Amino acid sequence: MPDETVGNSALGRTSATEREANTSDKFSFWLAPGVIVNPFDIVQVEQVGPAAGETSKTYGLVTILEHRTDAASHLANFISNNFGELAAEPNTLRQGATVGRVNVLSNNRDIYMPVSNERLVHFADAAGIEEALGITEMPAADRVPAGLIKMSNGASTVAYLDRRYILGPESAHINISGISGLATKTSYAMFIIQSILQKAANPEKIAVIILNVKQADLLQIDKPGPSLPVEEMEKWEDLGLEPRPFKNVVYLLPASSEHPGRPNSFLEPDGYHLFAYDLDAAADKLDLLFTNVSDPTGTMDAIIGDIMQGIVNNEGDFKNVHSWSQLLNGPPLFKDGQSKGWGDHHRSSVGKFRRNLRRLVKTRQSGIFMDARAKNQKVLADEVRKIKGGYTYVVDIAKLYDDEQTLVFGDLLRTVYELKAEEPEDRSEPVPEKIIFFVDELNKYAPGGARTSPITEQVLDIAERGRSLGVILISAQQFMSAVHNRVTGNAATKILGRTGAAEVAQPDYRFLDDELKMSMTRLGKGELLISHAVYRQPVKIIFPKPAYRQEQR
Amino acid sequence: MPNPLAELTPVLEVLADNIDVLPAAGKAVEDYLHPDPEELEDTLINREMGEVTAFAETPTPSLTSLYRPTPPLPRIEQPFYRFFIDGSIRTYFLATGIEGNRSFPIELAQVGAAVIERRPDGNLRLLASKHKVLLLLPKGAKGISDAVWHQLEHFDRSDGLVELHDVSKTHALNREDQEGDLRNKAGAKARHRMHELEIEMIRATDGSRDAHNWLILDGAVKLDEFVESRYLVGVAKSFRKDPQFYLGRRSRGRGEDRRDVTAILAGLPHAHRTAAFSAYNGKVAFWYVRLREQRELDYPLMGVVKVELPRPGGTPVEAELADLISRALVAERNVTPYGRDRRWHCHLYPIFMAEQAIKNRFFSEDVLLGAIRWPQARAQAGPEGQENVGEGE
Repeated sequence: MPDETVGNSALGRTSATEREANTSDKFSFWLAPGVIVNPFDIVQVEQVGPAAGETSKTYGLVTILEHRTDAASHLANFISNNFGELAAEPNTLRQGATVGRVNVLSNNRDIYMPVSNERLVHFADAAGIEEALGITEMPAADRVPAGLIKMSNGASTVAYLDRRYILGPESAHINISGISGLATKTSYAMFIIQSILQKAANPEKIAVIILNVKQADLLQIDKPGPSLPVEEMEKWEDLGLEPRPFKNVVYLLPASSEHPGRPNSFLEPDGYHLFAYDLDAAADKLDLLFTNVSDPTGTMDAIIGDIMQGIVNNEGDFKNVHSWSQLLNGPPLFKDGQSKGWGDHHRSSVGKFRRNLRRLVKTRQSGIFMDARAKNQKVLADEVRKIKGGYTYVVDIAKLYDDEQTLVFGDLLRTVYELKAEEPEDRSEPVPEKIIFFVDELNKYAPGGARTSPITEQVLDIAERGRSLGVILISAQQFMSAVHNRVTGNAATKILGRTGAAEVAQPDYRFLDDELKMSMTRLGKGELLISHAVYRQPVKIIFPKPAYRQEQR
Repeated sequence: MPNPLAELTPVLEVLADNIDVLPAAGKAVEDYLHPDPEELEDTLINREMGEVTAFAETPTPSLTSLYRPTPPLPRIEQPFYRFFIDGSIRTYFLATGIEGNRSFPIELAQVGAAVIERRPDGNLRLLASKHKVLLLLPKGAKGISDAVWHQLEHFDRSDGLVELHDVSKTHALNREDQEGDLRNKAGAKARHRMHELEIEMIRATDGSRDAHNWLILDGAVKLDEFVESRYLVGVAKSFRKDPQFYLGRRSRGRGEDRRDVTAILAGLPHAHRTAAFSAYNGKVAFWYVRLREQRELDYPLMGVVKVELPRPGGTPVEAELADLISRALVAERNVTPYGRDRRWHCHLYPIFMAEQAIKNRFFSEDVLLGAIRWPQARAQAGPEGQENVGEGE
């Protein structure tokens, strides 16, 4: 147990050796017997003060714990057990000590002298953790609860994110990584959106667009879920948040070809709007639709551009083209039973365009492409243009094919981007100041690598210029390395869930110490690391289960 | 950090004021006076053990039953050893002093002793330790004058860290008839002081030792006088290899039944002890125990320790007690400081830890040599370096 004479909170003493120095950035400490400390615990050590007789506090994050003995080698231990005898208990326990490695978080008097030898080490208390992370310097109005930091001694405190680094103007965007199956990424995204909305001074100036990509996960977010267990309620309470479902939710669901008038969704919410794409609605997004079509020579890119321009501008060749069928089976691309060269485009290029378009909108489509929309089948872009602050829009793409999902996501991004870049004259109320976008499986839309596509360009635009426009991207994916590094690089806040050892070895995780990388492979369900622009080191947090309904009907 | 050896400064000033001082120069030189100081010490202390002529065990063993089995008796089965004492020593050559026509070495030594207690759970803790810095000078015909010595004594406080010692005084490791280099005598004095500190450590365990809480002292149990404390054994890792054993009826003359220690130990099986032999007219019973199997080691005499048990009344030791002491000792072979100490095969880990405890309290060479500054104006011109002439434990 810790030495009673030095107070029961002391964990051990700092240790600097000939070979392993304490530095401005790191220090080590040995643990008293019986003390339990874990990686990501935050500790504090007394440090010299700016004037004689004054002291300051240095805070640090425990990154790894090592147990060392005086055995010169494993062979020494083997020999110490009577040359490998398993039954023999050594008469004396070998001397050993557990040593904690600590990354310096901050000093409350801005003194970054290395921590001296033999200083007592304590767990930081709640106020100390806030000081350590720089939370005390955040204006109260800008604090967004992002989770609870739980320490090994049972103490906990709220990890706040700085609103100015999530929604701008300092920086923006949140990116969430972690292996799937732990139901953590989406839950956390929904939690942080709730937190942002609940703590916003003007929630009516924030609109949220959420893409539902799996099952009916997010199709009941306005409905209260079953009563949460006491411990979950306590987490909500500790965070200063109300466990409640989302308010003012608008569901936008894809139309179904099999059940006219009904959505192609895993679940029908009580109220929703259908959306579908006729040619006119999709003409200016054909490039997005063709994202996954191989085009090494750029011929498709050229022909798609010309066709988009022809239809949107209602040019001569396309005056009578108003449906997918007409575009596919009529002039100017098709005549006398075969594809036809058009403009500068060779017949074979036109043929490739037609083959792919037919596959995309006719033979292998989920039902959102139709030659003529019914009155209740809305144009998605038109609905988004009417976006209102204080509302949350859930766009369901769970049952759509990959190409269709790309089109919908690109359509939303492009529309929001245009909306924020240039406010339409016909709006009766101002465009919301901030539009938060949540999308899972970002790797589909902005994959890593040199190849770019229209949809990747659109995501990059938001990632790099969204902050100034007030478009905030909360994105998630299993593997950060699978996403374009300009997207993750522009996210000022990174949330990391459990990840495999091979993934954390990728260069995308350079911002983490090696010890912390290995800790990521041990994170449990509901545990996440937060790397935030204001924090000097990532911290481990837990967060409460959502208060909205999640079960499938 | 203030000079931890500030006590030494006025002493050095007196020396510099009254005698010529030629500070040592050059790099430290390891002392290779003898390959094993412990063995040398055993030879010096136990000089009377050169010829062993009697057993000190009851019932008296026969020449055909010199070895007795002593299978390990682990602590968890029966607690036996609880306290472990070791000392350590480091000596440094500081300067050559010249007074009149006499020249002599001025040496410094760090000595210390520690007692380690093993708790019932097998963990160790430091029960007590002592650390002294010795200024070692010869006095008299071969050394410093009485007048200067008197001035130096003025600074010698019994409770201080620094002690002043006359290396020409006789003691167990420096007999009257013993000739020798003054630097060797300084080393012997330091070693003698270390043993005195070890005896102080024994006192720290008085009242706590009993039949289930024995103490192991590293080395011999006889210094100037016998250590008369009860429940104590001396265990030597290194011991003299020249004793001759004359046992039996035809112990002298032609056809004598003479054996040397090497022959006796070569046949000593693993986890066995030899019969207990008598020394100092029966006031010490000693025997040898093989801790490790010979096949695990390079040389037949490795893995064997010498056990000394004080018998102040001169009575022989009961075979059962010698067995018990030996069995508990065999169990002490694990864990071992293999890789940390070349004597790992016969080292007892708690003794090793006692040695570490005291060595870790020693001032580093940088601190020690940095703290020793001869007053520049008064000392002879010369570089300030000092020479390390030896280290032992």
